[in-house]
Parts: sequence; C-alpha cells; structure tokens
Amino acid sequence: MSARTLRVDWPACTARGLCRELLPEIVELDPWGYPVVTGEVTEDLLADARAAVRACPQLALRIVER
Amino acid sequence: MNAARSPVPVPDDILVRPGPALLRGIADGPSLAAHRERYGALPRLSLSELGDLVGDVGLRGRGGAAFPFATKLAAATAGRRPVLVVNLAEGEPASSKDMALALTRPHLVLDGAYAAAAALGSRELHVVLPGDRPVAAERMRAALRERPERLRVQEHTASPRFVAGQARAVVELLERRPNLPVTAWQPEAVSGVRGRPTLLSNAETWAHVGLLVLRGTADYRRLGTTAEPGTTLLTVTTQGSVPQVHEVELGSPLRDVLPADDGSPGIVGGFHGSWATAETLSRARVSVPGLQTLGIPLGAGVVLLPGPGSCPLQLTSRIVDHLAGQSAGRCGPCLNGLPALASALQGVVFGTESTARVEQLCGLVVRRGACAHPDGTSRLVRSMLLTFPDEIAAHARGGCAARPVEVAS
Amino acid sequence: MTDGPLLWYLNRGSGLVVLALLTLSTVLGVLALGGLTPGGLRGRGLPRFVTQSLHRNIALVSVVALVVHVATAVADTYVDIRWWQALVPWWGSTYEPLWLGLGTLALDLIAVIVVTSLLRTRLTHRLWRRVHLLSWGAWALGLAHGIGIGTDLRDVTDWAVLPTAVCAGAVLAALGWRLVLAARGSARPAEDRRVEVRA
Repeated sequence: MSARTLRVDWPACTARGLCRELLPEIVELDPWGYPVVTGEVTEDLLADARAAVRACPQLALRIVER
Repeated sequence: MNAARSPVPVPDDILVRPGPALLRGIADGPSLAAHRERYGALPRLSLSELGDLVGDVGLRGRGGAAFPFATKLAAATAGRRPVLVVNLAEGEPASSKDMALALTRPHLVLDGAYAAAAALGSRELHVVLPGDRPVAAERMRAALRERPERLRVQEHTASPRFVAGQARAVVELLERRPNLPVTAWQPEAVSGVRGRPTLLSNAETWAHVGLLVLRGTADYRRLGTTAEPGTTLLTVTTQGSVPQVHEVELGSPLRDVLPADDGSPGIVGGFHGSWATAETLSRARVSVPGLQTLGIPLGAGVVLLPGPGSCPLQLTSRIVDHLAGQSAGRCGPCLNGLPALASALQGVVFGTESTARVEQLCGLVVRRGACAHPDGTSRLVRSMLLTFPDEIAAHARGGCAARPVEVAS
Repeated sequence: MTDGPLLWYLNRGSGLVVLALLTLSTVLGVLALGGLTPGGLRGRGLPRFVTQSLHRNIALVSVVALVVHVATAVADTYVDIRWWQALVPWWGSTYEPLWLGLGTLALDLIAVIVVTSLLRTRLTHRLWRRVHLLSWGAWALGLAHGIGIGTDLRDVTDWAVLPTAVCAGAVLAALGWRLVLAARGSARPAEDRRVEVRA
C-alpha cells in the first residue's frame, strides 16, 4: 500500500487555482494564490485528484507514488 | 526591489592551508607533472573496484547534501551511456573550497572524474566552471589542457549567481538552457542530461574519489574516524581577513581551525546553514551526523565568523535580502515568499515585526519550489530565531547589543 | 433525401451555430484566464474550473456542429462539394473555391487543436500552447469563409448579419482583453514574470 502525494511543478504553476476548487480537502492557497498541499491523496480523493491533474491549465500537477 | 549585494562577497583571493591528504604538498604547485611525481600514474579501475573503494569508506558528496557517492554510482551504472559532471560552480559566496582545489589540486579532481569515466565506460565528461571566480576557472582550464587522456571534456561556465551550482540548474546549463533550476521528477543520477544517468558531483567529491583511486582505502582510512574516514575541506571566513580553506580530519574538533574563542557566534553551513553559539562552536566536531544532532548542517563546509562587533540579526537580514534577490524567479512561493520573508526580517531588526510572522513565512516557503533555495533560506532564519531570543527581544525594545541598527546598503 | 432544400438549410444553419459556439468557447477560454479582479475571481462568479470546463465542452459540441455542417454540404447535390474538399483546401473544388478553401483550412486547424487538446497530457505544455494559439486564426478563417461563401450574408438586411456581427464583436473584445492580460504578464510562464515584492 503506497502513499500518494500531489506534487506541483512549481516553475509551471501560474496560480490559476483550479486545483483548490477541485480538491479543497488537501489544497489550500497561499497569500499569492499558489497551492499549499496539506495532505496525502487518499483512496477516496483519488478521483478528484486525477480530475485536478487533468484540469490544471498549466499541467503543473502530478500524483506521485511514494 | 534592488538586488541586494551579498554581505559576504565572492573572494578574489583566498588562503589555502596545506593539509594531510587532499591538500598535501600543495607547495609543489598545481601542474600535472608535480601531481604525477607525487601520486604516480592513474590506475585503471574496473567498475566494481571503484564501487568497492567508495563503498568501503562510505564516501559522501561534498556539495552540501552529503549524499552517498556509492548510491549515485550505482544509479549511473544501472543506465545506459552515463554522463559525468564535475561541478566547480560553488554558488555560495562564503565557500571557496572548490576554488582552492582548482588553484592547488586540479588534477586530483580530474583524476577522480577520469577514473570514474573509464570505469563506467562513459564517453561524456563535463566540467562546470564558476562564472564568478575567473582565476579558478582559468586554472582549471589550464589543467584540462595538460591532460593526455583522449576523452574530450566539455567545458561550461556557470552564471554568477547563487543557484547556478544546483544540480538541476547545472543539467539545464549542459542542455544549453538557462542555468536555473527546474522541477526534477527523477534524480539526475537516474535521468539527467538528455535523459541519461548523470553522475554529477562537487569538485571536492571527485578529489576524494581521485585520492581513493590513487592511494587506496587503507591510506584513506589513516585519517578521520572509523565511522567517518578521511578528511573534508572547510572554508573559514572571519571579519577583516581573507577566507581560509583548511583540510580537517572528520571527527576532529571544529575549534582547531577557528580563531580564539571570543564568545561570538557564527554560521555553519553558509547562507543555507545555521547559526551556532560560541559554546556550540567550541564543542562541535567536524562530522555530518555529529553536527546534525546539534541541529547544524555541515553543508559545503562553510564557517562564517562575523565577530563580536556584529549583530546576528542584521547580518541574517542582509543575507536574506541577498538570497531573496537570488531567487531564479521561476516558482511563485519563492519569488513572492522570499522577498516577503526579507521584509518581515527587516521588521524584526527594527522592532516593528513579530517573530510569529517570520516563522509563518518560513513555513510557507519550505518544500514549495523546484530547488532547495527557499528551504535553505528558511533554515538560516529559523536558526536565528532559535539562537538569539534575547537579541530579538532587545531589538523589539528598540536597541541592539552589538551596534546601532543601520539600514542595509 | 439529397434533393430538396432540407440539407441546404441545415448546412446554412449549422454554419452559424458553429460560429456562435466557437465564439462562446473563445470568450470562455479568455475568461478562464482570470485576471478580472486582483487575485482572480476567488469567491466571486463562477469557479474557475467551471469556466474552464465550459470552454472545453462547448468547443467539443462545436465540433459536432462542424461535422453536421460539412456532412450536409457534401451530401447536398445543390452545390458540388466533394468530401475530400472538406479536408484538403482548394483540391479541385469547383464551388466558390476560395471561400470554401478557407473553411477547409479552418477545419484542419480546428482538427489539430482538438486532437492536441485531447492528448494534452502526452504533449509538452509549450507545444500544446503554440498550437492552441492558432484557434484565433481558425476562428478568423471560419468567419471569412462564412462571409465569403454564405448566402445569408449577401445583403446587410439578411438575417445572419446581426448574429455574425455580434460574434465578431465578442471575439474582438476577447482578443483585446487577452492582449491586456499578456501585457500585464499574468498569464505568462514563470520565467518571464517580473519580481513582485510584497512589503
């Protein structure tokens, strides 16, 4: 059972904020609009996490297995 | 924002002290002839022999991360057509050990790299020269011209900025893109230059490899401790003197290379390091795990001693101002967070900002970037908060024990 | 069924539908970039992922309308348009070859844009973005095709003139806003961004 995290490609991220909208359980925004990942991608969040990855306009998100 | 100058400038001149291993016999001069006179011909080692050498002594990288070299070597072995990189782009202004090696022992560094290239069967060897230390770069170029090996070395010059020596930034440079960090989904030892396994190590690390290849592990183990054999290079910078590079045995007391204890604190590990009280400095031993238990990273072996007349808060503030300007500007949290942190820190110096705000910003920038620039900056700031609560309280009341609070120039 | 005006009417109607849908998609695409309020539309108006999804889905629906438009043109015997002329511009076309060719070119561009967008995760972001910027050109070609070949745009009192003008106005406004955003730098990749200092 491997842990999954949401990793951000920081040079690609332009603070569009769609990930926060789609995955508010584990994504918050810092004062400048950039995502702060506050938790792991658990089984129940996996579908939403994948949607967030697909929705990111800059393709700046990846789900990484530890 | 004006890019704030480094409070510790990149030196034009350094003093290199002779040492027991890496810096042995530097009075002979840096020529290839003198090097061969002392060490003999470069043996040709097989990959497993090389692996045994570095594995036996547990050689760790000297670029700051202290990563086990044997692990990197194994990763490079696992892939096809590995690329080797000698990284002389020191980045950190307060570190001059790679410069010292370029000036006095370039062939020890190159022997390590050439031996590894031969063992790996690699046909691609790169040397990254410092962009802000032209004398060192020129000496290394001269040394490369002396080499008789058929393997052609590609020379590159790093840009004169703090993050230029970061591993991924170097890979970018080798791929003819701007010398700045990018996100790495895999370590460069697995997938680096053009997707190939890239054995990228600091110049001093290669010097240790060279020493092992030329002298063997028995000789290497004469110095240091059983757990940490060998030596390491330290750059000690004190107020008003030229930086000095010393070679010390691992496990030896740090105070052996420091000037007399005057009760003033210092920074160990450079701009991404930690503050240490005079007491800690006098007790510490030069050891990666040893210093770690004291909460201090050895890093690239930098010791900064500003002296008793210097205010640690003001120095930290100036360093962070400089580091904020050195951001590659590619990652939002760093680009925005570091200037905000610098501002808040200035506020603490002037007594107008709370440490809570500083701590909050530190937490906000850590692990949120393509490289460890914000993490290292945050480490220095947090160590300041931890080490100097009294000074911080004094500043909050409008005073400073060391000197009048001045505006950074 | 190939005789009689049904296919012809479907063709004309679907042509305007394609224009309207592509216009809507373009406007939504620019709105999805945010920048209307400092710090974006957080808390105000539609969530960004909704605007983004609408942009994508409406574009896909317009492809369906485009297929209807092309199919009816080819099937209808009133004008001589062969199926390959819908894919390769100016290849032996006899009916209004210039204007038809522009439409075919627009379709080709749209096809590339749609395919690259569907395969977005397998391409580099830079490549996808450069292809996607062609959508402005595709829209303009489509408009030119409609004005040149469209029988409902012959006279200024024709029914299609007002909707077409509204679409053109909307895309022009969207383009203007897009250029403002580009000048501000808010949609540019990180390397180009200026240093912002928050005191």
